[in-house]
Amino acid sequence: MILPATQVVVVVVFLIGLYGVLTCRKLIRICISLSVMESGLILFLVSLGFVEGATAPIFDPRHAVYVDPVPQALALTAIVIAAGVNAIALMLAVLAYRHYGTTDIREIWRRRA
Amino acid sequence: MTTTEIAYLAVLLLLVVVAVATVLMRSVFAAVISLSLFSVLTAVVFALLQAVDVALAEAVIGAGLSTAFFMSAVATTRGK
Amino acid sequence: MGERPGQVIIAIVLLFVGVTLIQAVFGMDLDPLRSDGIAAYYLDNAMSDTAAVNAVAAVLLDYRAFDPFGEATVIFGSVVVVSMLATGGTLRSSGYGMSILVGRSIGFLTPFFWLFPIYVILNGHLSPGGGFQGGVSISVLVIVLSVAFGSEYTANRLSLERLGFAESAAALGFILVGLVGVLQGATFLANAAAGVPVGHPGELISAGIVAVLNIVIGCKVAAGLASIFFYMSKEGGEVR
Repeated sequence: MILPATQVVVVVVFLIGLYGVLTCRKLIRICISLSVMESGLILFLVSLGFVEGATAPIFDPRHAVYVDPVPQALALTAIVIAAGVNAIALMLAVLAYRHYGTTDIREIWRRRA
Repeated sequence: MTTTEIAYLAVLLLLVVVAVATVLMRSVFAAVISLSLFSVLTAVVFALLQAVDVALAEAVIGAGLSTAFFMSAVATTRGK
Repeated sequence: MGERPGQVIIAIVLLFVGVTLIQAVFGMDLDPLRSDGIAAYYLDNAMSDTAAVNAVAAVLLDYRAFDPFGEATVIFGSVVVVSMLATGGTLRSSGYGMSILVGRSIGFLTPFFWLFPIYVILNGHLSPGGGFQGGVSISVLVIVLSVAFGSEYTANRLSLERLGFAESAAALGFILVGLVGVLQGATFLANAAAGVPVGHPGELISAGIVAVLNIVIGCKVAAGLASIFFYMSKEGGEVR
């Protein structure tokens, strides 16, 4: 029950983020939608290692079955990298604002033409 | 269905609702705050999926650091 | 919006990606703990190989220590790119900080705020947490200070040069810890295989390079992300 529901939510959250990336016109809103997509992806990575009835991978003699630690390690790396990539994207949006006075991509497109 | 599963499904539903709100929110400021809430809910989901390290990282980065980055960018561009 | 062809294209893209994702996500035949898989090996041997109680820390900083190495490189690269893009400019002059009441209470509480990141970093091999989480907590602490006292004041106290030095020193420390393994005749970033004493599981000083790498990564992530924040809160720079 838990795993299929999580997988449905992974697909839904990813599609919501993709919809935002495709329809939003301001660069900062596109960055926000990208963050939502990234969260869906990380949720997928974490759900890969989930086992029903298992506990968190901290060794403890009281428990016998643990969830898979490898996808969690990759998800941890992915989260920190997402923060760095987000910072670069936002910095580029700020530079676009300084150059064009707006972050609306249609406005920027018109001024470039 | 146990109570844990019902609570988990409720958190997932709330997650989807907050994601829709984040993308469709009219003002950029509200969208950033909503994204912070979305990250906190994701952290709750990670904790329920027994990924405690990832939950801690998502709570600290998504709700703390990313919000500060987005706020600083929104303050510079003044929502234009 | 309102243009019909654009909306049709968006609908088609969403439908295509959605169907592909559903096939990919639900079509996966998953058994994470199957006995010939890598997770079973890690879960069976992590305790005796690395003496780290936290299996995620053991996987991340011992078995797959190249992952955080690449991750540290990405953080370094993003600091370089952000500092390159944020040429000129001054820290926001509106950042005078909050009232004296907030300033005094934050000044009183700051030592207690340090407790959480230091605990998380030092116990990274024993409990949930580690270098990433603790380092990001420290940089959030720096952001709290610059909200309370104004970014100009905080950036003067913690100069960008000092943060850059801390980050570069931590990156060098990471490489030096990795070279210990090479000097001992094993591979880069080897832990127990290189004869590093790992101690007993559950003790604070144990797990060999896992504990050391947690501290190094904590310094690196904290300095890198705090300097990204200071570069981003500059305003009025020129555009090249």
